[in-house]
Amino acid sequence: MSQGSFPGRRPPTRSGGAAFIIAAGLAGIAALILVDAAGLKQDGGYAGVGPGDVPRIIAYGLLVLAVLTVISGLKGDLPKPPRQAPAPVLWILGGLGLQLVLLHVVGFVISGAILFAMTARAFGQRPLWKAVAVGLVLALVIYGIFDQLLQLNLPAGPLERLIFRG
Amino acid sequence: MDSFSLLMQGLASAMDPMILLYALIGVTLGTAVGVLPGIGPALTVALLLPVTYGLDPAGSLIMFAGIYYGGMYGGSTTSILLNTPGESASIVTAIEGNRMARQGRGGPALATAAIGSFVAGLIATLMLAFLAPQVVKLALTLGPREYFALMVLAFVTVSATFGDSALRGLTSLFIGLALACVGIDGLTGAARLTYGVPQLMDGIETTTLAVALFAIGEALAVAAMLTPPDGMHKVTGSVSMTRTDWRRSWKAWLRGTFIGFPIGSMPAGGADVASFLSYAAERKLTRHPEEFGKGAIEGVAGPEAANNAAAAGTLVPLLTLGLPTTATAAIMLAGFQQFGLQPGPLLFVMNAELVWTLIASLLIANLMLVVLNLPLIGLWIKLLSIPRPWLYGGILLFATLGTIGVNPSPVELGMLILFGMMGYGMRLYGYPIAPVVVGLILGPMAEQQLRRALSIAQGDWTTLVSTPVSATLLTISAVFLIVPMLMRLRGRGKVLSQVAGDPD
Amino acid sequence: MKHAILGVAFAAALAVPAFAQDYTIMAPANPGGGWDGTARAMQEVLQAEGIAPSVEVVNVPGAGGTVGLAQFVADSAGDPTRLIVGGYVMVGAILTNASPVTLKDVTPIARLTGDTQAIVVPAASDIQTLADLVEKLKADPGAVSWAGGSAGGTDHITVGLLAKAAGVDPTKINYIAFSGGGEAMAAILGNQVTAGVSSVGEFAEQVKAGTMRLLAVSSAERLPGIDAPTIKEAGYDVVLENWRMVAAAPGLTPEQVAKISADMEKLNSSAGWTKLLAERGWTNTYLAGDAFAAQLDADIAATETVLRAIGLVK
Repeated sequence: MSQGSFPGRRPPTRSGGAAFIIAAGLAGIAALILVDAAGLKQDGGYAGVGPGDVPRIIAYGLLVLAVLTVISGLKGDLPKPPRQAPAPVLWILGGLGLQLVLLHVVGFVISGAILFAMTARAFGQRPLWKAVAVGLVLALVIYGIFDQLLQLNLPAGPLERLIFRG
Repeated sequence: MDSFSLLMQGLASAMDPMILLYALIGVTLGTAVGVLPGIGPALTVALLLPVTYGLDPAGSLIMFAGIYYGGMYGGSTTSILLNTPGESASIVTAIEGNRMARQGRGGPALATAAIGSFVAGLIATLMLAFLAPQVVKLALTLGPREYFALMVLAFVTVSATFGDSALRGLTSLFIGLALACVGIDGLTGAARLTYGVPQLMDGIETTTLAVALFAIGEALAVAAMLTPPDGMHKVTGSVSMTRTDWRRSWKAWLRGTFIGFPIGSMPAGGADVASFLSYAAERKLTRHPEEFGKGAIEGVAGPEAANNAAAAGTLVPLLTLGLPTTATAAIMLAGFQQFGLQPGPLLFVMNAELVWTLIASLLIANLMLVVLNLPLIGLWIKLLSIPRPWLYGGILLFATLGTIGVNPSPVELGMLILFGMMGYGMRLYGYPIAPVVVGLILGPMAEQQLRRALSIAQGDWTTLVSTPVSATLLTISAVFLIVPMLMRLRGRGKVLSQVAGDPD
Repeated sequence: MKHAILGVAFAAALAVPAFAQDYTIMAPANPGGGWDGTARAMQEVLQAEGIAPSVEVVNVPGAGGTVGLAQFVADSAGDPTRLIVGGYVMVGAILTNASPVTLKDVTPIARLTGDTQAIVVPAASDIQTLADLVEKLKADPGAVSWAGGSAGGTDHITVGLLAKAAGVDPTKINYIAFSGGGEAMAAILGNQVTAGVSSVGEFAEQVKAGTMRLLAVSSAERLPGIDAPTIKEAGYDVVLENWRMVAAAPGLTPEQVAKISADMEKLNSSAGWTKLLAERGWTNTYLAGDAFAAQLDADIAATETVLRAIGLVK
């Protein structure tokens, strides 16, 4: 959706460009809703308001907001973001992505340690192995308290089985 | 009649050291689980209820009361310190609370939340004890049309969370409303915007959205800064509340209590709606409007009192009618039944002793909570002096822990990432976060109540203004909406918008 | 120090006897609902009676249980320690959501508890009998608003069946779905709707206190201790029961199924289970083996017919 792009050069063209992207995103959401609403049962029953009607109103609202966003972008009213560093963002997103993929394979502790380490790396922590080690200990403690003691069900992998069920 | 002596009797029996120990354990456990982002009081109580099974009724009830209040309170700590609301009722706490923490005033923010929760819990529990039968009679006269009017009022006051630009605030709200359309339509069972993904059928989980937008979005935004702001999160000044803090907090606590209790008592109210309305009220009434959005203590004190008062309010329909109006209340009911307590309109009459023990337990648990938490504040804010890599690593680990514990599906984690990126993008361009979550919560409520009201009246729209309560609420909403517009037209708004011109 | 206290509290709660099989029970719903309650009740009794040393409950909420069901089938095939709780509502949800995974994909073990449906009106209503209510329904179906649970759920089906039996077009009923039991009850108590439908247990205390009038129950026979005719007695051929069951993973060997069935049998005959059911006001409708399988097939077929008639399934 309205993801940030990283301004390389100075505005003002920047902000106008972003406004177009945001407006396009809003209009896109509105289009999705309108298409979906068209496929629903149009009968509102005794209420006279069916399942598609409220979404439709929201979609029209989004379209109006998209137009207003373009206008405000042309007027330069949108705040201009400061320069962004893309690398840390990618480290964190990578950590989250790896956790999603690995969670059910290696369990909560290892995937959590990876997320922890990659986030720490994004904030400038080096070396990586040290962050992984801290992450492992922290995730193990969390797993011990919440899964073992408080019965919250967290996905277990080889490491959890080795330590807690072995 | 002799309610008072029954209450005193209950309190006296609760003064036993063992009972107090149970209260302490309950409060500690409740806070520990409740503090996790994404794990609300319902799951906290469900997880911990078995712990109380082995005990006698008095001990069990008190541990249970501790878990309940602890779970309610736990959410505010992470909201304030880590900008990661634990549950939907502490979302607005994050707005001002986290700003305060960033200015090094995390201590007073936590203190006003803890003391406000205590004050609200105390007053609301007493109101529960002495006014419950009257309050519930009023609450029952409210039907879908009144709830719709209440939601309209909540929508109108939401603009308090908009920040400095009405356009961007409204855009955020509409994104929330659009997300709220996802899922099965409650009234017809039609699947909207689910694209055949079963996990989307129940809609987007509020806590997933809140955790992603607040915690993950925040982490991404801070990480991406080329020159991180200096001294952020450094504790400055006093850890405890100053005289000014007290002066500014106490009225907010009381207002929060009197907003929260009745709304919590309504079968379709809820602690989240109560906290929104309280925040809006504080923002309207404050003498320091310039501080709102930048760390105004009233914005923490009011909503925190409101959500705790609403938690006590939820017990009104539960104890007087046996109506569980929230998931938490439904689980509590199952817990009570182990003592042969039959929920229903006769509960207060038939099981007077147990009910009064419970109320006494709630009072004690409430006290225990503040006793336990005030000294801990110093410890909590030390969290913030952890070096930034470790701190944010921990925040992300905890933020995902809640989602994984509740629903470890890739779809849910995928949404967490997607909404996290959205939160980052919104921060970049100065879009406020809170209205998205508010839209997600209020949208379906308003839509369903509207359609229910119209369905009962067979499509007659005049039903919406046919009762004094709904007509009054809608009139107040209209006034709130029109008056600022008129003022702006007369040019007085211009100055305000210029003052508030600087970006987020 | 703190951990010592926690340790004591939990050791008491989780006292573990030797041998026997561990279970993980999936409640395909959020905490607080009927399935979650059933799963946690099973957890409590299975552990307390020493039938299973350690029982864990996992909540996988969503879409009338079909999200949990799909995940259960995908993750636990061939694993004899996994159980899932389900019920009549799931039958409807599978149909309305066109779920690719159905109850045919799991191994149903036993029906555990059941609830009879009840039709009530607010105490202040001028409607005295089911016949009065049906008369109003026939005169103007829109003027009779019904409060109940989710669209396509048991309550909705009950109203649809009654309308059909009374010769009223089921698509014309004015059914108002509420999200939780408490909210629907409040609407009935507050006289916001004409009538309400839910389980007998949910209404029992209100009826006793005289705040609601019970018109009829949906069981085949009158219920002991409840002063109301059956719908059938009143002249409309509607019999319906909202049951809850436990099922095991697909792909188990007959021995594994036998072991689980035996454990559930033990659960059912235990004193702890009987006591807990009495506390909660649940009726024991234990049915296992082929009899349960046949009942399940019949229910699925009947439900499909009704949902088509109401217009929820195309």
